[in-house]
Amino acid sequence: MTLRDLLPGSLALAMALTTAGAFADHTELNPNVNEIQPGDTVTVSELPEDIYLRVQNDPDDLIWDRLPMYRTTLLAAPPVHESVQLRFDEDATRGKHLYFQVARSSERFYIRLKWKDDSENRTTTVDDFRDGVAVQYALGDVDTSYMMGSGPDAPVNIWYWRADHEQRIENLAAGGYGSTTRLPEQRVSGASDYHPEAIPQDSEWHVVMSRPLAAEGEHEVSFDRDRVPMAFALWEGSDNERDGDKRVTHTWILLDPGAGDTQG
Amino acid sequence: MAVKRQLSMVLDLNKCIGCQTCTAACKLMWTNRNGREFMYWNNVETQPGLGYPRDYQNMGGGFDADGALRLGRQPSQEDYGIPWEYNYEEALMTGTDPWLRPHVKPTWGANWDEDQGEGDYPNSYYFYLPRLCNHCANPGCLAACTRNAIYKRQEDGIVLVDQERCRGYRYCVNACPYKKVYFNEQISKSEKCIFCYPRIEKGLATACAQQCVGRIRWIGYRDDEEGPIHQLVDKYQVALPLHPEWGTQPNVFYVPPLSPSKYAADGRELDEPRIPLAYLESLFGPRVGEVLDTLQAERQAKAEGRESELMDTLIGYKHAEMFKLS
Repeated sequence: MTLRDLLPGSLALAMALTTAGAFADHTELNPNVNEIQPGDTVTVSELPEDIYLRVQNDPDDLIWDRLPMYRTTLLAAPPVHESVQLRFDEDATRGKHLYFQVARSSERFYIRLKWKDDSENRTTTVDDFRDGVAVQYALGDVDTSYMMGSGPDAPVNIWYWRADHEQRIENLAAGGYGSTTRLPEQRVSGASDYHPEAIPQDSEWHVVMSRPLAAEGEHEVSFDRDRVPMAFALWEGSDNERDGDKRVTHTWILLDPGAGDTQG
Repeated sequence: MAVKRQLSMVLDLNKCIGCQTCTAACKLMWTNRNGREFMYWNNVETQPGLGYPRDYQNMGGGFDADGALRLGRQPSQEDYGIPWEYNYEEALMTGTDPWLRPHVKPTWGANWDEDQGEGDYPNSYYFYLPRLCNHCANPGCLAACTRNAIYKRQEDGIVLVDQERCRGYRYCVNACPYKKVYFNEQISKSEKCIFCYPRIEKGLATACAQQCVGRIRWIGYRDDEEGPIHQLVDKYQVALPLHPEWGTQPNVFYVPPLSPSKYAADGRELDEPRIPLAYLESLFGPRVGEVLDTLQAERQAKAEGRESELMDTLIGYKHAEMFKLS
């Protein structure tokens, strides 16, 4: 996979973002974490059959300490609507590190996400916006736009975790801006945990999401293929982030769901 | 935004007595439950006053001179007023609490400044301004929605929030300069006045208009030349939109209020209305003076026993003539 495989429109952006890491907070260097750039391939770890998860979605299960940890840098999403543009912080170029791990058993696909957040925004009220994180998968290949898909014929499947409903993951699909739609199949489950620290900036969200491996319905991502384009989005509730006002992976990270390394 | 037909409402502020029957009718019909308790799709506020939500006239929103959305201040729950309940059961029934008290300390609410107005006796003044969604021809809420969740019906121009599409981003709440879209925390979606469309579809007037004891509201299609809206807005041109400068082209119109004369310090009546013209112009635009002159002339005609089609309409003899829904 080279950058040339990506959408031509995304190319310039991707090139521009190769320096993205420089903006990110590097106070958290960790040799055990693999830095992932958009365009890189990540192999899904395979959970051995003799590993039994006592809780299906435990964001702090011991298993996650034994699986490879990846880190990627999310940057502000380009505004595509006047309402987002009006609220767009031109100075918000600073990257945000998102840590992720991907695993599968013979039956389920798991993704675990971790990021630093000094505020636990768990409510959606007149005055407050919630924290959120999402994983987006292209149903097709990398020629699908990483920005919510390329129309109804090249859609994306999105798993959206929202902090205001414990255990609630929304299984969504989109085919272009503003088209995000809740799917009839709501088979993605998950759980989250907020880990407050003495230094608020070190506090972390841990989120795990999972779904039966086999896809159902026409808009659920299939993991039964060689590579699955994947991207992330992160919303910081305390900054009133919602909708297109978010930090995202620019272009795709490639997921290899096939024969993963078994570690653990 | 061109629609085939546009339903509109005219409200005569000379007749509004601030009884809130419209507010109660709307609340009972739509907003006394399911997370809408703090919402007043229809409210009646005292003007001059801060209105509902508090100070909405200075929150921004709407469009600038170039037609671009203006970012406004998001109203807080406090600006709406945090709804409170009383411990009736404990204080009055079981007697377990000696005091009847609200469960939160009330610090602000709709009509907190009711009947305060402006000016000093004998020149103090205020009037009531009933407000609902203006079902604008150029809705700020619709323009601000990133999901096309807000639409304007072709057949009657009613602006609705598609509850299936809404994801609660609240851009619409911000963009409506009248602050007539509300966020429902219970369902994480935005909601607003629906112009009682289920009633309209049955040929009935909106609840607020039907119940109005002052008979201040007329409903009809703007293009119906036989109807009251065309007569008041286009023929006699005595009904004006609230804050036309906000650029949303409202379809709710107001007949501005006449007022008695001001008094001089020595008690003489001055040739000047109690409610300053400049103030009314700040709400309804530059044509207010002209409208008040027309109203005065027509009112005089009626007083002298002459015919006045305009006054006959404004009196509102029959509901059937006030609501023309076909």
